[in-house]
Formats: sequence, C-alpha cells, structure tokens
Amino acid sequence: MGGKRKKNDESGNDEVEEETRSSKKKMRTEKKEQLRPSTIKNKEKRSEVHAKLKRQKKLEKRAKAKARDAAEKRALELGEEPPAKKVPRTIENTRELDETVCKPDDEELFAGNDADEFSSILNRHHTPKILITTCRFNSTRGPAFISELLSVIPNAHYFKRGTYDLKKIVEYANNKDFTSIIVVHTNRREPDALLIIGLPDGPTAHFKLSNLVLRKDIKAHGNPTSHKPELVLNNFTTRLGHRIGRLIQSLFPQDPEFKGRRVVTFHNQRDFIFFRHHRYIFETKEVKKTESKGKKDKDGNSENVPENKTIARLQECGPRFTLKLISLQHGTFDTKGGEYEWVHKPEMDTSRRRFFL
Amino acid sequence: MPRTTTLVCPGCPPFRALTFDSLGLIKAVEVRDKQRGVPQVVERWGDPQSSKSFIAVSMIDRNSNPLLAVARKNGQIEVLSPVNGDIQASISNADGLDIPSQENDVTGLHLFTKQNLESDSRDCTLLTCTTKGNASIRSIELADSSTGSSCIGSSKTWNVCSGGNILCSKVDGNEKFALFGGKGVEINIWDLDNLTKIWTSKSPPKDSLGIFTPTWFTSATFLKKDDHRKFVGGTNSHQVRLYDISAQRRPVLSFDFRETPIKALAADIDGYSIYIGNGSGDMASVDTRTGKMVGCFTGKCSGSIRSIVRHPELPVVASCGLDGYLRLWDTNTRQLLSAVFLKQHILHVLFDSSFNVEGMDLLPSKEQTPTEIIVTEEVEASPLKRKNSSKNKENILDGSERKKKSKTSKERKKSEENGAHEKTASRDERSKAASKKRNKNSNQGL
Repeated sequence: MGGKRKKNDESGNDEVEEETRSSKKKMRTEKKEQLRPSTIKNKEKRSEVHAKLKRQKKLEKRAKAKARDAAEKRALELGEEPPAKKVPRTIENTRELDETVCKPDDEELFAGNDADEFSSILNRHHTPKILITTCRFNSTRGPAFISELLSVIPNAHYFKRGTYDLKKIVEYANNKDFTSIIVVHTNRREPDALLIIGLPDGPTAHFKLSNLVLRKDIKAHGNPTSHKPELVLNNFTTRLGHRIGRLIQSLFPQDPEFKGRRVVTFHNQRDFIFFRHHRYIFETKEVKKTESKGKKDKDGNSENVPENKTIARLQECGPRFTLKLISLQHGTFDTKGGEYEWVHKPEMDTSRRRFFL
Repeated sequence: MPRTTTLVCPGCPPFRALTFDSLGLIKAVEVRDKQRGVPQVVERWGDPQSSKSFIAVSMIDRNSNPLLAVARKNGQIEVLSPVNGDIQASISNADGLDIPSQENDVTGLHLFTKQNLESDSRDCTLLTCTTKGNASIRSIELADSSTGSSCIGSSKTWNVCSGGNILCSKVDGNEKFALFGGKGVEINIWDLDNLTKIWTSKSPPKDSLGIFTPTWFTSATFLKKDDHRKFVGGTNSHQVRLYDISAQRRPVLSFDFRETPIKALAADIDGYSIYIGNGSGDMASVDTRTGKMVGCFTGKCSGSIRSIVRHPELPVVASCGLDGYLRLWDTNTRQLLSAVFLKQHILHVLFDSSFNVEGMDLLPSKEQTPTEIIVTEEVEASPLKRKNSSKNKENILDGSERKKKSKTSKERKKSEENGAHEKTASRDERSKAASKKRNKNSNQGL
C-alpha cells in the first residue's frame, strides 16, 4: 500500500528527480523482497531491523524534501513557474462521486428553494421564533447547555418539558406562532441528541450530539453579546445537505448585526456538523511581522505584501459541539406514522468516502 | 487502497416512464438502448411551482391515443397527452369553492378506458374522489388544441364515506368496481354502474390487551386485473391485509412489515405477489398465497417510497419516493437495475408501455395473441441470462482474478527491474549512492 502511494506522489515530479526515481524503484522492490520486521520473532533483531528501516525512511524523506526545495529555488532563479505544490490526498478530496451534489446553475434547485418550508423565514416574511425544550428527565449539563443555546440563538424561549407529549408541544408551538422547536435529549445526565422541528409543517431533523464542551470549560472564552449573530454554513453540498443547511439557517434571524462581531459556524466535514461560536475583531498588524511570516509561507513572494495587513482575531465563546444527522423526517415529529426523507441505514455505509451532506 | 462502492447497475431493457414530482414537473425517463441501457431524462414538462404539485395521476396505457390525467394541489385536473405533454383539457375541481383546501384535494383519480372506446374518441371519463369522500364520475370533452376550453358533460356525484379522510382509491381492471379507504374509513367497494356500495371491510378485533388500532388505510391495490374480489390494503400501523370479498369481511391474511407505515402497494402481473414500500424506504415483495416475504429490494434507498409500479410486460418494477430517485428493479432477482436522480420529491411514477424504440422489434401489446407473448417471454429471458453471466464474470473479476492480474503485472515489473540492475550489490550501498547522486543533482541545480 505504502509503495503504491509513493508512486503516486512521485508521478508529478520534474526532471531533477527523474534519475533518482529509477534508483528508488530498485530500492523499493528490494524492500518488498526483504521480510518485514514484524515477522521476525527475535525482539532484539526485530527492533534492530526496524530501526534501520526507519532511519532509511527518514533519510529518504529528507533527501526528497531537499530536492524539492532545490527545484523550487532553481525555478525561481530562472524566473520560471515553480513546480506545482502537491496536494495531499484526503478523504474529502477523494470523495466518491455523488450525483446529488447541488450545482449552481440548477433552476429546479432554486424553484425548490422557493417552494420549501423555510422560504418564508429566509425571505424575511417571518422572524424566527424558537422554542427550546428538553426530554422529560433533565439534569446537570442539560440546563447549562440550554442556557448557552439561549444565548446563541436570538428569540429563543425555553419551556419546561413537564410530562407533555412532543406532539402536544408541536401543536402548542404552532398556535403560538413559533417557527422551530429544538429538543435537547439527555441520556445519563449528558446531552446526546438534538431534534430540530420546523413548524408548521417543516421537516424534523434528528441529530446525534457529541463532544459537548460548555463555555466555562473553554480556555480564555469570551462572553457573547446579545447582538444577532452572523451565520457561517460550510460544505453543505448535496441536496440533503442543502436542506439541512436551510433548516439550520431558519433558526437564526436573517439580518445579522455586524456591529456585534459575533459569528456562529456550522461546519460540515465528513457528515459531521461542527458547531462553533466566536467573537472576532479585525486588527492591523505591523509590516515586519507579516513579512517574516510571509517568507516562511511562500518564500519570495513577500515583496508584494502591503505595509499594513488586517487580520481577524478570534475568541471562542459559547458551547462547542458536534452533530451527526441520523434521520430527516417529512412533516413534524411523528415516530409511528412518520415518513422519512432520509434515514441512515447500515447498508449505505459501503465506503469511507461516501458522504451524504 | 480506498474501498469504494462500485455501482453495479446492469442497466434496463428499453422502457419509458413518467415521473411526477412535488414541484409540478413531469419528467419522462427513457431507455433507448436495446442492450441494457442507462435511463435518462428525455423530457420535462411544466414550470416548477409548488402549488402545482401532483396529488393523483392516472393513465390510459395503450398504443393509439394514450391519455394521462393529473390532479394538482391547486384543485386543477388536467388531461394531457403522455407523448408530448400537451394539455388537452383542464378543469377546476373546486366546485363553487374558490380556495383549494385540504378537504378538496383529489386523492383518487381514474381515467376510464372502456367508455372511451365505446363513445366518441374526443371524450374521456374521469372518476375523482376528494379527501372528504366526494366521488364523482364526469366525462370531459377534449379540446382540439391546448386552448383549455373543455366542457364537463354528464356528471354523477355521490358520497363514499360519512367521516374520515379518503387516502387511497383504486378501480379494478374491468372498471366496474372501485374501492375507497383511508384514515378512519374502512375499505369499501362500490359498483360503479349502479353506484351502490356492495361491500365494506370490518376492522380486526381488539388484541389480547384490549387495544384497538384505529383504521387508517394508506394504500390499496387489487390483486388481479380481472378479479375485483381480492385486494390488498396497507395500513398506517405497518400492517398489510389481504381481503377476499367472497370469503369474509375481516382480512383473510394480515402481516406486519417493518416499523414505518406502508406507503405504496403494487400487485404483480402474476396475480399473487405484491410489492410493498414503506415510510423509511424499505421495499419487499411478498407472496400473498402464503403471506411469506419473498425478499427485500436493497439498494441504499433512504427516503420514503411513494409509488411502486410494475411494468405491464417487462420484468421491471419501478419505485420512487422522497429521496428523489427513480429506481428500477428486476422482479426476479430483486436486483437494482438502475437509479435516476430526479432532484425533487417524486410523488408518482407511471410506465408508458406503448413506448418502443425505433428500429427494434415491436414490443407486443396486451391485445396480441398468446403465441407472440411467449416469444416476448423468451426475449425477456435471454437478456436476463446474459446479465447473470455477465454478473458472474464481474464477480470473478472483482474478486481474485483482478488481484491476480495486478500481482502478476507487479511481479513482471519487479523482474524487469531486477534484470536491469542485477549487478548492484546490497541495497544499502545502492541507496547511499542514490542519495549521493540526488545531492549532486540538486547541487548542480543550484
């Protein structure tokens, strides 16, 4: 496996390494022939062989990096284009081809957006009004999490769950003109699931909630103001992702107060939605610092750096958690007679490179 | 290397299907290729508008002058041509009422074939049924062009139920009887000639705990084309029930299927097996003679199935639903033949069996003699065989053989390289030399 990888890495090289490649190939083939250290039973011998191999690898790597740097430098001197930077292969950029990914020129998508349940909120005909409630048993981290959610989402109201059925609560919220319901589900005194219900007939999204870090546990955290936050939704690409993005978007007011410098981020990566809440500030930095930094990053490009550079500094505030979509239900909450638009099934997990959002 | 899902889709025999989505678009999906082609969207009719979403569709499926009737959310009923999508007649269902409300939604729609043949070809007869249970039979005169001028001829109206909501309605193959059922409405069968109710089902008794499950039929279908006595109903409490009018009023057979409500039911042409689709995207076929499940259709279907249709001739069954895919399955192997992504929630799908590809042999229609049908069966069978064999081959290729191939090629490479550099001694020395060389090169480069 490793051998194949190396081959791919090398494929984009220039003529300097052309010669070295052949010799490397020799090496690789011989390495394959040699028995692997893990098959050696004698520990001393094994560790010896292993150390040798490791050292060799290190040397090889160093030589490669050196050659790469040299090639870049030479290209710069000659005034040529430096060789293209190699992009590492990650699970994201080798994602399986998905036909449901939204395309920007899709008129049916926009028509669908205009017709969906969130369009009245997103077009600012209605202001979002959120009802937050819990499961029936709620203690320790649950209330703390809810109080922080209340500070994150403007116009959110907490209602005690009591012994009411969720369907009754949906009915009540419909009558009181709420636009969404958030239910925080707690298990073993730890919030573990989030249910977002769009009202009056919007979809119901069921998320798994994990890695919850409350504000007081975040080092050097800030305290948010009561301004309406800005919203960042990252990487919601497919149809389903688009819909989830719009569902999340409909929780927040559509007119952020930029004065508050408050930003709420929902970042989707490999189907996990990371929630972060920051305060930011723009600062102008001195020339010297930026130049040295630039030199480190891009070598010779530092001449073009402007005198003063504005950078954004972030301070994290508010909770930090991760969501993962379990199901998206058509209509409001109904476990028995509900219809699902999307539900995760084990048979869909055929590859690590298949994502749904 | 990364484990990836290879979509093994054997492709479909040539067919044409119409899909109806939640934005009021009709899309025609076709396979033109004779040899296991990939279905493609060839036509799209209508403007995307949510109020024009479809509720019910019905089609006269025949070679000459096929007709398609659709009921939209805004109370419009349109009669179209399934060939080119021209609107031939359009009537508003909201009689007197201007506001289309939930109660006036047309949940049942049927275009009559029989009466159409008897009378003038410019006429068509429609059976409509609203959620509240107002059924009516009307005949509509088709306009010459898409001017939309159409007059409603004779009209018979009656009430199917006193309370509850009608959710499913079907007309049997001879078009003499219709069944209606829904939320709070037991399935009842009506004689369409005399407009009399001839039979009503009886809800199953309370269970051992004394719990009574409320009546809530979500889908129903007749088992055989020419037999109105046997039919199947699916309930919201994920139960499938087989009724026989001649036997008893309670279900002859009933069984549970998974945990979400049954949303779609379709009968096979063989007259005993049915296809079930439910609210979480599971689909299965069941033999109603024994009540045993024949098998599930597994193909990563994640959204609720809204409609299942069996192709009248080919061994193909189509399903569609809220995940926006039209899926085509083989009825015998229950293998996914292919899936088309159609972007919206698809509410209905219909097959246009009169479709045939230019240049290929005419697919026999229903009227033809049985000898020719046998021929078609052979035609159907041969591609199946071919597919199986190809599948086997693929499997072999997927498994050991491909690996072997890659291995052999690798070994060959190795041997070549070894041959080229046999003289070099130990590997360590060689690597040193190589690194030196590289250093030299880089120095030169500087």
